[in-house]
Amino acid sequence: MIPRHHSSGFANGHTREKTFDFSPHRLQPRASANNNRHRKKLVARIGAVLFVVVLVTIWLWPSSSVASLVSFGLLASGTDLELETVRYYDLTNVQGTARGWEREERILLCVPLRDAEAHLGMFFSHLRNFTYPHHLIDLAFLVSDSKDQTLEVLSSSLEELQADADPKQPYGEISIIEKDFGQQVNQDVESRHGFAAQATRRKLMAQARNWLLSAALRPYHSWVYWRDVDVETAPFTILEDLMRHNKDVIVPNVWRPLPEWLGGEQPYDLNSWQESETALALADTLDEDAVIVEGYAEYATWRPHLAYLRDPYGDPDLEMEIDGVGGVSILARAKVFRSGVHFPAFSFQKHAETEGFGKMARRMHYSVVGLPHYTIWHLYEPSVDDIRHMEEMEQERLAREKEEEEKKKKAAKIKEEFGDADTQWQKDKQAMQDSKLQAKDGVKPVKAAEAEGVAQGNKGAAKAAAAQAADPGAAKVAA
Amino acid sequence: MARPMGSVRLKKANPSTLLLGAVLCIFIIIFLVSPSTPTKTARLAVNTASHHLSPPTSPYRKSSRPGELGPPPVTHYKLNNVTITPDPIANQEHVLILTPMARFYQEYWDNLLKLNYPHELITLGFILPKTKEGNAATTALQAQIQRTQKQGPEKDRFKSIIILRQDFEPAVMSQDESERHKMANQKARREVMAKARNSLLFTTLGPSTSWVLWLDADIVESPPTLIQDLASHDKPLIVPNCFQRYYDGDTKKMSERPYDYNSWQDSEIAQQLAAQMGPDDILLEGYKEMATYRALMAYMVTEQADKSLVIPLDGVGGTALLVKADVHRDGAMFPPFAFYNLIETEGFAKMAKRLGWQPWGLPNYKVYHYNE
Repeated sequence: MIPRHHSSGFANGHTREKTFDFSPHRLQPRASANNNRHRKKLVARIGAVLFVVVLVTIWLWPSSSVASLVSFGLLASGTDLELETVRYYDLTNVQGTARGWEREERILLCVPLRDAEAHLGMFFSHLRNFTYPHHLIDLAFLVSDSKDQTLEVLSSSLEELQADADPKQPYGEISIIEKDFGQQVNQDVESRHGFAAQATRRKLMAQARNWLLSAALRPYHSWVYWRDVDVETAPFTILEDLMRHNKDVIVPNVWRPLPEWLGGEQPYDLNSWQESETALALADTLDEDAVIVEGYAEYATWRPHLAYLRDPYGDPDLEMEIDGVGGVSILARAKVFRSGVHFPAFSFQKHAETEGFGKMARRMHYSVVGLPHYTIWHLYEPSVDDIRHMEEMEQERLAREKEEEEKKKKAAKIKEEFGDADTQWQKDKQAMQDSKLQAKDGVKPVKAAEAEGVAQGNKGAAKAAAAQAADPGAAKVAA
Repeated sequence: MARPMGSVRLKKANPSTLLLGAVLCIFIIIFLVSPSTPTKTARLAVNTASHHLSPPTSPYRKSSRPGELGPPPVTHYKLNNVTITPDPIANQEHVLILTPMARFYQEYWDNLLKLNYPHELITLGFILPKTKEGNAATTALQAQIQRTQKQGPEKDRFKSIIILRQDFEPAVMSQDESERHKMANQKARREVMAKARNSLLFTTLGPSTSWVLWLDADIVESPPTLIQDLASHDKPLIVPNCFQRYYDGDTKKMSERPYDYNSWQDSEIAQQLAAQMGPDDILLEGYKEMATYRALMAYMVTEQADKSLVIPLDGVGGTALLVKADVHRDGAMFPPFAFYNLIETEGFAKMAKRLGWQPWGLPNYKVYHYNE
């Protein structure tokens, strides 16, 4: 049988050269070269059209899924417009543990602000220094009834912080809540700390804190940290330090530095205390809406205060059970707030705001502790009394300086006077010696010489008197 | 050797036919992938957050590459501009409907969908216990949510939905009607209930909510205008009367009876009872062992049935309860402890009063409770 389809050679291995060859398939119709070229062109054209269409589609609807469908999802764009309307959270995952930074637990940092422009710079320096991972901290600010530039300065500082080149600086969710309560409560130091205004003031503060918390607390928070903007000095590790104690509510001791003449330092926050029998008895006698405030002679409660128990060399980890808490720096588990504990804006067991918060937390069997020997420092703002005292001191200082000036003048004059007397004395001495020499020239009887001496003495006295008459300054000294 | 069939076919095809096919293909692809409701993004853009760290009362744009998301933006919330008015629809006020749920009832969900307050202004919040029953309810709830939010008609879809699982042990394992209402179990049960309500409230309230509607998971029938009707009275707290439909064996037809006894006006006797109690004891309503002689709203239905009749209350029930968000923002919560010898919703009414907010009731405006 002849291998029909063998074109390269015969079966015996001979190559076929210049021999006529019948190959059946060569008789079949074939696409001409011209036809082939035409087809290639067409395919190229269709391909080009398709390509252009796809490009236009991607350009027109960059986020649509046409692109991802064509590119099999490899070209997925970053701004997918899919909306997520359902959120699921398991609250057992956000209980708060002693080592939250390892478990990536989120903290909500709450800062109530009013007319605090002056302190923001200091506050942001603290923010930059926190060692707790910043991306795990959500910041919430309540700006209320501010007449200065608090809001503007705050916004720009936060924008700057979030845009920081250091990836470790930007924080998590940042909320600035603007709400005016229309409070006409004066915020200067004197009226702020006056006794009469305390109950109303504390209730309004409590309201502000509650508004801030209820607007900012999310289901993903494990801890809530309350911090006043006017803290001057605090350890960078304060969040970890407080968290390590594994308590539901925990506060450090708050002192403030003072000028030398006031003793150098002073306990500041008197709202962290242990309940006393006296105070409980006092509470029973008061009206339903009355609020007991600490640090005023009107309510002598005899409570042990966290602030007064500080020992600068004491163990900073020492804990003390407390019933009322101060609001300068509170770390609390988020579940405390979730279960309903808040800052009573009414009289709760005769207390309001942070002290009422401590009371309510205790009422719901949460652990509330203070650290007597772990201290942070509040900014020192001189009170009106202090300012008056300082003015007095300034006047005293001026008076003292004036006195010293005069003393100096006097001393100079005295010196001048003595200098004059000295030269006078020299002159007199010279004169005396001269006259002595004159006396020695003539030989006189001893008696005569004695008489002469007496006369000479008289003469000297007369001379001195004449000199005195010539110099009124010296006369004054003599007088 | 096979024939080069491809070339044969190509030769036969007309280039214009091919082009037409290609264009057709592109059209089909575009129609396949283009969103069926192009207005959706426009509608929700106003209330949408750009980051997942945002108030859960708003949806957020999901990024396909969450790892490359930058730090969250600085967001301003102007609470001065959040209005709470008697005409909430005209003022586009956001409503948060909160439901502590132990069992899922289809009737509840159907009734919820029937509410004709604009759904794009409604956020739903649920909290469910971490028990076997809670898991079942969660699964059922999620299935319904999926159906409504993804496949349902645009007008049915809610702005945002939050599902929470509670972080404490449920007090009574059984949700059976008889066990649940035993007096001895009441305090523990309502403590847990109060905690669940507070957890739900304080994590979802957010900065844009104007009204909070508490609606129990077993409310299966209410007027579709519930939110507007309650809000129109412009009261800080307002509670409709909660009834239950049942089959009356005597008259052989469906009838209704009062269900929620927690809405009441205080009485001298109740106050005297409270004065003798310890600080941890609570007064309960609807038990023969503890006759308080309070005026119960459940029995105040008038003959003329004037639906807009309002009465001041001292205690409120939580089966359906509309609260101005400001009341909660001021701190009014559901005490999980004896507060003036009251607990949960009744304690809430007391706390609201202490903060200067008066609760009100609508005796002739009814919602209906599920009947086991």
